[in-house]
Amino acid sequence: MKPNLQFEIGGVSFKNPVMTASGTFGYGEEFEKIIDLDTLGGIVTKSITLKERPGHPSPRTYETSAGMLNAIGLANVGIERFIDEKIPFLKKLKTVIIVNVAGSTMAEYVEVCRLLEKAGGFAMIELNVSCPNVDKGGMEFGTDPESMIKLITAVREVTTKPIIVKLSPNVTSIVSMAQAAKDGGAVAVSMINTLVGMAVDIETWKPGLTNITGGLSGPAIKPVAIAMVHKVFRAVDIPIIGIGGISNWRDAVEYHLVGARGLQVGTANFIDPDASMKIIKGISGYMKNQKISSLYDLIGKVRL
Amino acid sequence: MRKTIPQQCEVTYNRRLDKAGLYYRLSVQGFKSPRKIYPGQFIHVKVSKSLDPFFRRAFSIADYSSDGTLDIIYKIVGKGTSILRTLKKGDSLDIIGPLGNNFSRPAKSKTIILAAGGVGLPPLLYFSRYLIEKKHPAEKILFFYGGRSKDDLIEKTAIKKMKTKFYPSTDDGSFGFHGLITAAIQEQLANLDLKNTIIYGCGPEPMLNALQNLAMKYSINGEISLEAPMPCGVGVCLGCVKPKMSDPSKYVRVCYDGPIFKIGEVQL
Repeated sequence: MKPNLQFEIGGVSFKNPVMTASGTFGYGEEFEKIIDLDTLGGIVTKSITLKERPGHPSPRTYETSAGMLNAIGLANVGIERFIDEKIPFLKKLKTVIIVNVAGSTMAEYVEVCRLLEKAGGFAMIELNVSCPNVDKGGMEFGTDPESMIKLITAVREVTTKPIIVKLSPNVTSIVSMAQAAKDGGAVAVSMINTLVGMAVDIETWKPGLTNITGGLSGPAIKPVAIAMVHKVFRAVDIPIIGIGGISNWRDAVEYHLVGARGLQVGTANFIDPDASMKIIKGISGYMKNQKISSLYDLIGKVRL
Repeated sequence: MRKTIPQQCEVTYNRRLDKAGLYYRLSVQGFKSPRKIYPGQFIHVKVSKSLDPFFRRAFSIADYSSDGTLDIIYKIVGKGTSILRTLKKGDSLDIIGPLGNNFSRPAKSKTIILAAGGVGLPPLLYFSRYLIEKKHPAEKILFFYGGRSKDDLIEKTAIKKMKTKFYPSTDDGSFGFHGLITAAIQEQLANLDLKNTIIYGCGPEPMLNALQNLAMKYSINGEISLEAPMPCGVGVCLGCVKPKMSDPSKYVRVCYDGPIFKIGEVQL
């Protein structure tokens, strides 16, 4: 019997839980020669802002033990070019396309979502309210529950697409932020975004990144993310998409067990561009061995 | 279409190239290229299964033949290359490639200046061999190769064998021309029809900057191969960007838009 990896979030059906995380998969087309994109559960695009952004000067990535720091600074083509140049490719794919949206003001988020709604060609919106690397990266929407509710409410007025909110771990209580996402009308939370970190080159005495601090990602942050997913799953009734250091199917299963319904593979794409493919196969193999027929029989089933 | 996914290749040798043991040439067999490989392209290598070092390491292809033999030449500079040095015949190496663009192939009538600075040698070694194989007259290829000292100039026998004009240079004068590679090139420019000359360069950024300035000053066309730490190597992480010359507020990705750029395209 073939295990069933399908699941649903906000009325959108996914063929398997493995999506590629924003900022680690470009606009999909860069990976066309590398993997079969149609086999993915979903693709989350690079964050899109109203205007094209070049991002910060180099160096904007820095290798760490079991991970990396980045302060790209929301470099992206801007909504106009995204609609003209990137959506035509994405909409041909047989996978769930999730557009990640970022902004510095509520008006910017709303305008980007309004233009996206007009253009179509995708399934869901993921709001990036947690970019740690820009002065105004919508961070207040990610750290203050009231602001988050207002933002989601405003965006919902201009879009018919289900909204996922990507949560920051750089908060006192991630549970209250997940609750705010639910109260605002989001269909799911994706968690976690990167943790604020810093590195210094001891030869030059300079920070590893031009931006001084950046976001830490990769296997190094997995236990932090697992704990946060576990907490939110127990406290808030909202589907969770787990993110943070997922590199193989064992990591994936661990996330499901603490409550993640979907998953996003991020930094692992850099090291092993077909990591997602291997994870999909691996989850399926694990379920078969364990005689588990549906993904739902794994979700949140950690034995405490 | 075969996909560009990681593959395990068997190391056939990993040979020291200099007295001090700083430079090595590593060769693998059984590389199954998903597409045709051209000089200037690179591979992305995972030097160990461990999470430290975490990223792959990018190396220019130093030679390739369609039977699946692929060579890189590297200098020991840090954690990644120190591990790479320990690989032995029969070990396996995790490779993704070929990645990036390649040097453009010049018309046979052109005079070619190859400018290799230090460990920027590998792609030009491959390109030179390729040009000769494609019947570019060897006497029309001027192979400039600069390093700090005599011991930094490796693979001299391989270069000489190609019968190109060879112009070695060292900063300390211990071998060949005494001075910077750009000075060695400038000395030869008077003898050349510059409109009919193309420069191809690879080396440390200060050298490429000087080379680019020299080429622009004399209106010589050409291409340079850039190097940058590359987390992904496939154009998505946006970590290896350099500013455009025409508008420094905009960036190119070394791994995906390059690593080969036209002279005058990138601000160094």
